[in-house]
Amino acid sequence: MTDTPHVLVIGGGSTGCGITRDLAMRGFEVTLVEKGNLTHGTTGRMHGLLHSGGRYAVSDQASATECIEENRVLRDIASHCVEMTGGLFVQRPEDDDEYFQKKLEGCRECGIPAEVLSAEEAREMEPYLATDIKRAIKVPDGAVDPFRLCVANAASAQEHGARIETHAEVIDVLVEDDQVVGIEVKHDSGPGKREHKTPGTTEKIYADYVVSATGAWAGQIGEMAGVDVEVRPSKGVMTIMNTRQVDTVVNRCKPKGDADIVVPHETTCILGTTDIEVEDPEDYPEEQWEVDHMIDTLSELVPMLKDARTIRSFWGVRPLYEPPGTGTDDPTDITRDFFLLDHEERDGLSGMTSIVGGKFTTYRMMAEKITDHVCEQFGIDAECRTADEPLPGSEDFSVLRDYMDEFGLRSPIGRRSVQRLGSRADEVLKTGEPNPVVCECEAVTRAEIQDAIEQSGSDLNAVRIRTRASMGNCQGAFCCQRMAHELYPKYDEETAYSAFDELFQERWKGERHALWGQQLSQAMLKYSLHSTTMNADHDAVRTGDAIDFTAFDGGTDAASKSGATGAAATDGGVSSPGTNGGDR
Amino acid sequence: MSDAESPSDFDTTAQSFEPVQVFPNNEDMDLRPGADNCYKCTACDTSCPVAEVDEDFPGPKFQGPEQWRLKRKEDQAVDDSIMSCSNCMRCDNACPSSVPLSQMHNTARGEYVSEEMNKLSQEYIRNRILANYRFFAKIGSKVPRLSSAIMGNRLVREINERILGLPAEREFPAFATETFREWWSNRGGPKVRSEDKRVAYFHGCYSNFNTPEVGKAMVRVFESFGYEVVVPKQGCSGTPMFANGMLDDAKREAGITVENFSGLIDEGYDVIASCTSCSMSLKQEYPELFSMDGIEDLSAHTYEAMEYLRINEDLHSAIEDASVEEQAYAYHAPCHARNQGLDRQAVELFRDLDGVIIEDVGDSCSGISGTYGWKKEKYENSMKIGEEMFEHMEHATGDVGMTECPTCSMQMEHGTGYDIKHPLQLLEEAVVE
Repeated sequence: MTDTPHVLVIGGGSTGCGITRDLAMRGFEVTLVEKGNLTHGTTGRMHGLLHSGGRYAVSDQASATECIEENRVLRDIASHCVEMTGGLFVQRPEDDDEYFQKKLEGCRECGIPAEVLSAEEAREMEPYLATDIKRAIKVPDGAVDPFRLCVANAASAQEHGARIETHAEVIDVLVEDDQVVGIEVKHDSGPGKREHKTPGTTEKIYADYVVSATGAWAGQIGEMAGVDVEVRPSKGVMTIMNTRQVDTVVNRCKPKGDADIVVPHETTCILGTTDIEVEDPEDYPEEQWEVDHMIDTLSELVPMLKDARTIRSFWGVRPLYEPPGTGTDDPTDITRDFFLLDHEERDGLSGMTSIVGGKFTTYRMMAEKITDHVCEQFGIDAECRTADEPLPGSEDFSVLRDYMDEFGLRSPIGRRSVQRLGSRADEVLKTGEPNPVVCECEAVTRAEIQDAIEQSGSDLNAVRIRTRASMGNCQGAFCCQRMAHELYPKYDEETAYSAFDELFQERWKGERHALWGQQLSQAMLKYSLHSTTMNADHDAVRTGDAIDFTAFDGGTDAASKSGATGAAATDGGVSSPGTNGGDR
Repeated sequence: MSDAESPSDFDTTAQSFEPVQVFPNNEDMDLRPGADNCYKCTACDTSCPVAEVDEDFPGPKFQGPEQWRLKRKEDQAVDDSIMSCSNCMRCDNACPSSVPLSQMHNTARGEYVSEEMNKLSQEYIRNRILANYRFFAKIGSKVPRLSSAIMGNRLVREINERILGLPAEREFPAFATETFREWWSNRGGPKVRSEDKRVAYFHGCYSNFNTPEVGKAMVRVFESFGYEVVVPKQGCSGTPMFANGMLDDAKREAGITVENFSGLIDEGYDVIASCTSCSMSLKQEYPELFSMDGIEDLSAHTYEAMEYLRINEDLHSAIEDASVEEQAYAYHAPCHARNQGLDRQAVELFRDLDGVIIEDVGDSCSGISGTYGWKKEKYENSMKIGEEMFEHMEHATGDVGMTECPTCSMQMEHGTGYDIKHPLQLLEEAVVE
């Protein structure tokens, strides 16, 4: 053991990755463990909204103020993950004037730039807003890609010496004499990058301090350590539309309510959401009425949503928390603030802190406070630099020059690649090798896929969240197999098959909630393609079944022998009716 | 049942072409939501004649739904490969899911040309000239013999290739010594007057300046069926302008046409075109690309000449009763006729005409696609696309070609040396006394 304190962070979401980066930058030795891929929990199931704070400007001004501060920080340090779309709070004729006024004043009190737009001005910005809207408030909301943001935080942490272990589920928290001394994890495929079919191992990782940034799962980790953390997980649905009906974040200007926001996200729009308390963060009903509710209600703001194509829906669980005894009934009333639970102060268990509550936009600020807290434990006085130092990919934006010609990519493909890769574009795209498009819907080329494989091993879902490959309108119908092919020959056939199945299954999970209209056609085409070209539903190589050769007929030779005079036609059928001996 | 016998509840307006209305009332067209219909089956790409011969062309799926879906509002750049699309519109026909492909292509091309193309480049100037054929034809046809002689001169063609980028291999079509409109006014206008059978003729540029015999045949055939034909003032249909992304030019021309035809529709006239690209444009592209008063109405009342007669007259009986001198044709259906469902009508009709042998030379594209084959860098591909058609023409019994489309006829003639006729000319021979 060196003199540098070793801190173990549980949870590879935005908070965990943020904490890991901050700790690593302040000189700690850090290990991050995550049971799935990065963003596996709530982060990967968020809305993609970079809050201006406007949504909290009336109900929770402290959060609103934090949001606008962090909004500005993220635009700076994570410019390649952020798209400054701007946002609108739209008032419909039936919505309260008084609330509109409160929202406007609230924004101004919190330092959120807010401007009132007439209905005409708002519709000029967003032509598909309903014709009967009354007016709107314009605020600096934005869109953020949680996947790339987490990956960038983890990558930066790694650059500063951190160890990142994904697919490493915590199976025990090691406690000795009322002190947490480490954890035991189960590696899905051995430590390091994930590789399918590598036998799993368990590992005890000892640390000087443990931070549980597991959000809705904090109760489960707490239980392993013998402490009680009462998280109140609350589910919310998000429905993804095939295209961007709006380029601005559109909020309904109402006190609170379900289905009140549309966020443009990359090539799509995300509709949200609901707020319903659930028992278990991993097992809760995903109900169709929630999806219908999104489309029906948000059509009041953007009528074309009613007939637009939905490509999938997903649910996330908010890690809501309130101090014991607060007793709020309605989950929508529980504060969105975060809580740092030092288990030494709280439960007499030293060496561990849990962080619960909070929201994505302020992840960095939360991470800073946790890191400050950890520094205090060790008496270390190191300054936080995460607000100033850009994340990998956002360092230098001169790269956004004539990228199209330079990378030999067609205009929208080159542009989208660079929007995703930011300042890493040169390094990733200039391979000197042929660089065909692998995912057509999202314009992802081989070079980007290979770069992601380099980062994450044989896990195609990890490739997906890094690149957006298979996240477009065909939901992987045309590219899952191409992505799997990119694993070969670095990984063998069996590994590629497993990775393929896993990705395909994950895509299907969300697609199930959009099976009507065009997406139903899409799903049928996907099914037909995969079953007819890859025999996906009956492939004996994959099912391990023996092939039933007797189920095949004897071929055309046998047919001509059994028929009296019939000859096989050149197309393999029987030549013509009447000549084949009358066996019809 | 013959073509003319209709069930009593047959409503021609209900049967007429319904354009895809992705965005009514929006001048700044944003076609991203049009991508909703695409499930990426690639039927459009496999039907694209350019993609078949041009390895660098990414095909209609990319040009259309993919490119639009990947765009963001503030993004300007449309990929330059859009200029290799020939606007044959076969992809529209191939799509099983009603993706507004050609509308997406036309709009993207318009955006590319106005935002990204260098207005001083040879390509832009050449395309502007090709798109505005009408303007130059009008000047040229003032002195038709001289213009034809100059344009036909080998040296002039070489210079045209160098300076303008027009392929020296192609021969300019000769100008008629008397334009159709001159003939019409010398003739004193309509010979037949009717209250209930009246049509307004959209002759287009080519049958006016180059092949007035087609226009004359249209007039005589319709008059023989008792129609009153009028010939209003009109602009270019816009087809060559769409294909070159010159949407402002097309809008100007459409304005002239809409203004002069829409009043007539109220008076009971239907609009007839003898060129299938002209009828295509009025029916589909006009309402897709422009919003103007009366443009929808014009679209709903436009028909190709033979299509109209097959709907409203017993053309089949008239043909069965007629006979002409023995002649044989190699018929090519233009892509734009195919899109209107008209690709078999000439063959179905004339095969029952005594004395005529007519053979369909197959469903390939002729390769010229209006102005596409008139660009030096596209010439070779244009001829490659046309190869199948040339070969089938040579195998056909007849050594005269037949088609409705002026530029297809140029290509057919260029590839085989055959004379090319318009179906209306044969119809005239058969039914006009």
